[in-house]
Amino acid sequence: MMPDLWGIAAIVTKFTLYLGVLTAAGTVMAALVFRLERTRGLALAFAALGLVASLIAFSLRGASLTGDASGLTDPEMLALLWSTPVGTALMYRVTGLGLLAVGLFMGKFGKWVCALGGLMAIWSFDHIGHISGRNTALLDIALTLHLVAVALWIGILTPLKRLASRPATYAMAADVGHRFGRVASVAVPALIVMGGYMGYQLVGSFTALIGTAYGQALTIKVALVAGLLVLAAVNKLRFIPELQIGNPVAAGHLVKTISVEWGVILAILGVTAILTSNLTLPT
Amino acid sequence: MKNVLLAGLAGLWATGAIAHSPLDSTTPPHEAVVTEMPTEVQMNFKDDIRLTRVVVTHADTQGTEMDLGDQTTFMQQFTLPMRDMGAGTYVVEWRGLGADGHALNGIFSFTVEQ
Repeated sequence: MMPDLWGIAAIVTKFTLYLGVLTAAGTVMAALVFRLERTRGLALAFAALGLVASLIAFSLRGASLTGDASGLTDPEMLALLWSTPVGTALMYRVTGLGLLAVGLFMGKFGKWVCALGGLMAIWSFDHIGHISGRNTALLDIALTLHLVAVALWIGILTPLKRLASRPATYAMAADVGHRFGRVASVAVPALIVMGGYMGYQLVGSFTALIGTAYGQALTIKVALVAGLLVLAAVNKLRFIPELQIGNPVAAGHLVKTISVEWGVILAILGVTAILTSNLTLPT
Repeated sequence: MKNVLLAGLAGLWATGAIAHSPLDSTTPPHEAVVTEMPTEVQMNFKDDIRLTRVVVTHADTQGTEMDLGDQTTFMQQFTLPMRDMGAGTYVVEWRGLGADGHALNGIFSFTVEQ
């Protein structure tokens, strides 16, 4: 069944929410781990995007309770929502992103405040959705670790692309890329293991994977992630080592690959928004 | 590439189901034909929910919103009074909120033959 206008708005908002929260949290985490400079504007812009999307997503849920626009601002509906885990998730998102934004203006100590805020915003995803519905601590931990790894990956992309775009910072780009590659060699397998575990718990069988819309969407997501891994491997094994020995052509390739990586990540977030909004779990 | 993705997403929408519909049973049952107009309808859900809107449409008339009373807790069973609008098909469209925060909705109908 095609989603109605409210359903489409919910998917678009959720996509924006994922993009905002994960990029803001990832940027501040990457800045902390890889000692990156000049990331404040980027983190602030995506934190604002995540904050706006969080509020709109909450309001849209109000509309789904009445079936029309009156629910967007209906105090009774919104108060009712606030009393459920949806309200708890909103509280974590707003507090986390607010903390992240404040931390951006707090100097050296602020980096830790930002990271704490980012983690809090990511933690909000453990309170609603298919994973929280299962009520198991192991799945909650898997989701959090999965999202932290995804955020870190997303967070490194734009700063690395910026460094690889100017000859004066080629060496720094090579260094950051190399250090990220080392972190990724642990974080990416963890991301895949956690994603695989959650996928198995939610879908349950190979028949459901190929025979249900949810399973098919998950398969598309996995295929996109596989494509992303190939791009990341090319960066790690080819362009970063070449940049380390001062090959300027490698910088251009790295910039292009990161742009493609961004495109694939947007597609993954889009499929995830459909998975979590419009499709029911296989039974 | 873009077209392939779009086609894939359209396919997902075509086979997907909207959200959750945990209505266990109704009185009168869905698509039942009854000879007497019921004075009330009963909805039994699998889990606790709060009803947020119920609209009844009779034949081709405009939908009438039902009074849901003062609900204070999440419940599984709801009994709502029905207004007799004559013979024909009654369609009951409901919306609600699950205790886990999920928005829920669904439709059931019955026909009165007199």
